[in-house]
Amino acid sequence: MKKTLVLHNDVREIPDLAAFVETLAEEIPLDPGLAMSLNLALEEAVTNVMMYAYPAGTVGAVTLDVDAEKDRVVFVLSDSGVPFDPTAVPPADISLGVEDRPIGGLGIFLVRQIMDSVVYARQGDRNVLTLTKLIA
Amino acid sequence: MEIEITQKENEMTARLVGRLDTPASQEAAAKIQPLLDNAEKTIVMDCTELSYISSSGLRLFLMLRKACAAKGGKVVLRSINNDIRQVFTMTGLLSLFVVEDA
Repeated sequence: MKKTLVLHNDVREIPDLAAFVETLAEEIPLDPGLAMSLNLALEEAVTNVMMYAYPAGTVGAVTLDVDAEKDRVVFVLSDSGVPFDPTAVPPADISLGVEDRPIGGLGIFLVRQIMDSVVYARQGDRNVLTLTKLIA
Repeated sequence: MEIEITQKENEMTARLVGRLDTPASQEAAAKIQPLLDNAEKTIVMDCTELSYISSSGLRLFLMLRKACAAKGGKVVLRSINNDIRQVFTMTGLLSLFVVEDA
């Protein structure tokens, strides 16, 4: 099954992503706990693009293509913003105590925790992030 | 996202209702100011009706926890559901809070 969602670089559209994932989870079907995890990983990846890919004040798109197969769901997130490889971000150190814990940096960490593979490619003028989740 | 704050002498309770996603967390940042202003007290985050959290929401919890660490208060997570508990665990944040079941 293939589905596509196109959002703009406006975080107020995040609830549309949640609704899309909810529908997808019903159609595949996926259990609610897994659906929530996928929603979380996708929100983190999409928010990253919404906030940093396009210069402030310009409108840009974030495209999410989903391909659900028997044993895996493949999410391809693409945008035409500035080149950015989220997989090059060093992993967050989650062992730090409260004073030393940085306030940000957990988004991409969550994407990596939840997905089975996270692969970035720059294809022409697009950032393409492929997130794969294996399902039983 | 609704945040209902009630105040007792040495304790503030914030009841969180709904989803703490990126846009909701941006709005919530202003709403939790009274909690940050009372970081010397015990801050109870009542998560009974919190259904979802993303990193933007975790950021608010961490800000609050840091403020309390600096001023001598503490942050209690009350009644978090298993999915949300898992997000706190995954990010290593759970151990920074006092967790209390209802």
